[in-house]
Amino acid sequence: MIHLKVSNLHKQFGGLHVLKGVSFEVNGPELIGLIGPNGAGKTTMTNILDGAIKPSSGTVYLNDERIDQLPPFEVARAGLGRTFQVTRSFRRMTVLENLYVPALAMGHAHGKARLREKAMEVLEFLTIDHLRNEFAQALSGGQQKLLELGRLLMLNPDVIILDEPFAGVHPKLMEVIYAYIRRVNDEGKAIILISHQMDSIFSLSERLLVLNFGDLIADGPPEDVKNDPAVIEAYLGAEEEETA
Amino acid sequence: MTKQIPNIAGVIVLLFLAAFPLVYGAADYDYIMHIMITAFFYAILAASWSMLSGYAGQFSFGHMGFMAIGAYTTGLLCHYIYLSPEPTGLCTETPFFGQWLVVVNPIGVTSTTLTQDCLRQAMDAWGGRVEVTRMPVPLGILMGTIMGAIAGFLVGMLVLRLRAAYLALFTLGFSEILKATISAEIDITRGQAGLELPPLYPDGVTLFGTYFEPTDKLPPYYTMLALLLACLGILAWLAHSRFGLFVRALREDQDAAAALGVNTTRYKVLVFTITCAMAAAAGAVQGHYVQIITPNLLFLLQMSLVVAMAVIGGIENFVAAAIGAIILQVLLELLRNSFVIGGIEVDMTIWRLVFFGLLLMITLRFFRNGLIAPLIAYFGRVGVAEETVAKRASTLTGPGGGPHRTEAPD
Amino acid sequence: MEFPLLFWGVLAWMIFWAVAGAILIKRRYLAQDLDTSNASFIGAMSGAALGPVGLAAVWARTPKSSGYLTTALGLLTVLIVAVTFSFADPDNICVTSGGFVASQFVNGLIIGIIYGFMALGLSLIFSILGVVSFAHGEFYMIGGMVVYFVTAVFLPGINPLMGVLAACATAFAIGAIFERLMLTPMYHGKIDRPIEYGILATFGLAFTLQYFVQALVGANPVKAQRFIEFPRWRFPAEADPIWIKTSRGSMTLFEQVTISSPRFTAALTCILVLLALLYLLHRTWTGKALRAVSQDREAAAIAGIKPDTMNMLAFALGGMIAALAGALLVQAFSWLPQVGAIPAMRSFVIVVLGGLGSLPGAFLGGIMVGMVEAAGTGCVPDPQKAASYIPAYGMIVLTLTLLLRPTGMFGRRFASGAHGQF
Repeated sequence: MIHLKVSNLHKQFGGLHVLKGVSFEVNGPELIGLIGPNGAGKTTMTNILDGAIKPSSGTVYLNDERIDQLPPFEVARAGLGRTFQVTRSFRRMTVLENLYVPALAMGHAHGKARLREKAMEVLEFLTIDHLRNEFAQALSGGQQKLLELGRLLMLNPDVIILDEPFAGVHPKLMEVIYAYIRRVNDEGKAIILISHQMDSIFSLSERLLVLNFGDLIADGPPEDVKNDPAVIEAYLGAEEEETA
Repeated sequence: MTKQIPNIAGVIVLLFLAAFPLVYGAADYDYIMHIMITAFFYAILAASWSMLSGYAGQFSFGHMGFMAIGAYTTGLLCHYIYLSPEPTGLCTETPFFGQWLVVVNPIGVTSTTLTQDCLRQAMDAWGGRVEVTRMPVPLGILMGTIMGAIAGFLVGMLVLRLRAAYLALFTLGFSEILKATISAEIDITRGQAGLELPPLYPDGVTLFGTYFEPTDKLPPYYTMLALLLACLGILAWLAHSRFGLFVRALREDQDAAAALGVNTTRYKVLVFTITCAMAAAAGAVQGHYVQIITPNLLFLLQMSLVVAMAVIGGIENFVAAAIGAIILQVLLELLRNSFVIGGIEVDMTIWRLVFFGLLLMITLRFFRNGLIAPLIAYFGRVGVAEETVAKRASTLTGPGGGPHRTEAPD
Repeated sequence: MEFPLLFWGVLAWMIFWAVAGAILIKRRYLAQDLDTSNASFIGAMSGAALGPVGLAAVWARTPKSSGYLTTALGLLTVLIVAVTFSFADPDNICVTSGGFVASQFVNGLIIGIIYGFMALGLSLIFSILGVVSFAHGEFYMIGGMVVYFVTAVFLPGINPLMGVLAACATAFAIGAIFERLMLTPMYHGKIDRPIEYGILATFGLAFTLQYFVQALVGANPVKAQRFIEFPRWRFPAEADPIWIKTSRGSMTLFEQVTISSPRFTAALTCILVLLALLYLLHRTWTGKALRAVSQDREAAAIAGIKPDTMNMLAFALGGMIAALAGALLVQAFSWLPQVGAIPAMRSFVIVVLGGLGSLPGAFLGGIMVGMVEAAGTGCVPDPQKAASYIPAYGMIVLTLTLLLRPTGMFGRRFASGAHGQF
């Protein structure tokens, strides 16, 4: 049973208070949307969950293991994977090699043939199997996003954080990503989806978290959140708050 | 079938190199052998440097520093450590398995101080009664390699956060500090005067019934060739294992690799340790072969020679880098002559390095994978094109080296 | 025996607490989650200056430590080293002779100005192209060579200014051509790993120029004439000591400090050119365009600036600055094709110390390195060993700076892109 518990997460950069006590829990294979205006702290929180930066205070437990002080590679091994806002494929490695990296790093390798089979299966699902021996840098921006998602499948974590997976992606590939999210969710993994594209978020997620200036101002089903006065104010009244 | 061409060519080259000293019999035998041994030495440096800088992306200008660590470690050990059955009573010494481990006092470079050599004084007093043994050369080389590995490990730990230009400057600084220290500590290292080393095989060696003098070129030739092949073998094995995959991921994007579960720290330190140990081993063997080492080994121009060889061969393919180093070293020696163009005599002895530099820049600009690596790639790719659906194969390389397809290493 | 014990003892104590401070204070900052880029540096300085007491104070006062405090602690560290030295070695000329100290100080300052000037060129190139030019020493060498050949071989008796101008023009041309041929493709996405490529390309240029000059002119040491001979002059005429006394080749201040004419002219020219350069950078359109490109290439391009032209200009200017330094110093030091190696290494140290890409940092760093070097040559008891170790001092500063504070004294943090990351 997947259980991610984020408790009272604070993060300060010098005088800037980016996260002000964020707490939430993920139980089981939930599909959660995380939204918030620019500068709300979404990326900072992702980086903390991933281990790239350490929180000022607060704890993160994944399946009863404390992960907030672990380096990123151990967080990945503990079962939390992420994509990056700006795609970060291994540009001068082939598509297949890109997929082998997480599988081998996790020790998932069960012989050459099975590894290749698994990778090919992932690539076929993502519709980029014909590119398997190309360098990643030869892929289009959208295809590289798919490749990044493919690497996560090979990593096979319990919790997946997708940071803006739809940004700059061709509508055709978008459907592939939709299918990917549903499939991964059906396979029993929890997904935290960060996006500015409200349509996608509202159509996909079962639960919505709203961050605003480091505070978690809403947590609930999308329909409720949509009508939450605090959320409406955060999105419409953001400018007033900035000048205040 | 054509896919096998690089392999076949490799076997032919190997057989040629193995048979060369046996069949070659011209008058300049020693000279040619010397060139070949030096070429192998540079090949080891170029190959290990290309693994570190091209394959793993850790751009280091300190490679000659590690080479010098290997050479000076064995040099100093052979120079100062002796095993004596009796205590000298003059030197620093400790009991050692029933014998005495004697550390000779440093006496500097001036010949008048030779009488201050405590061991020499003791031996004079014994009057030839006692035989002392020097540090065995293989043990010295081993110690040099280990010291190189340790230094590589430490530097690797220190530079975890440094990338690109910062890493290049740090490693350059490391190398310069080492050079200054060796130059300054004249009492111990003899500075620019050079530290003398015993020959690789101090008592000569007998191979298949033939006795070779310590000055003969054949044993060091095979020693250096064996070291080169061992290094290439280790590098090839690493490149084809998950190590190769991970260090390339590290080169491409360290943060992404870490997020996918790769222990980036471990692999970064490991690649430094291994390649620096190889440089140190090459330095130690070469030191014993030429029998004298000076801090000039550490000049930046020496480093640039290695860099140029690796780049012209193919910076991301260590086999190509090694081949490039051998060809270029031989070429540079063969170019020691002059020719006449349009009435102007061009003395190639002084101009050859200029052409070498121009070749380096042209290679950099127009052949980013070097001149040798694409040849290997060209033949290695034939089979791949049949196998894949991909129409436009990128720069793929055949056996042994860099950016090549890792078919699911285990 | 007393000297080494006391001196090295204090030094070991300081190093121990500096290392402890660097690690502990950084931990402290990390734990409180503050910006750690200064933490190791402050920790090291307080540890070195005041030992455990200073560390405790900084620990308790985290994060209330300012740049001024750090500077003060740094100065205190230097002072403690100096005082210990004077106690440990009371007979040393640096302790007994005030005049010697003043003389070393002034000469250190002058050499520092020239070093700083040269490093400025390197920093200019880095701030705009994001490339550390490993050919900087070769530009320095070219400068000296052109001056020597113009003034002493081709046109003897010509005004040395012509030689200097020719050196600048040559270096500018080489820099511009090289940039256009080799570095421009970097900025058009044609190169896979631009940072490594930039290092290798300048490295290749250094290699080629070095051997080209060796092949062209051989490797015999030469030296140019003094550019300017001072008139005989005393001022004020009747004072004791005389404030300024000049002879043909040198100038003496207060009958204590002697400055040779070549060094004086070199430093003065460097300062004048520096002022001209500052005017160029801050008061002209070209200078503003250069600075704009150094801050944001794309934005500058949108504003109608051609980044490629600015790159070329910056590289050529940087090379020209190095050549000018070489041209001015050829009258002071003898010239060899390898002459550029030492100033190039100094420049690397200085730009890292001052912060890669920071122009004021490069200049101040240069002065600091010049001073340290003067102290090193003048005061260390074993002069032969000291001379061998001088390159090492600088490199130790370089490696420590990279480890403790990669941004240097005045550096800004380059986010990514062509400038690379830490």
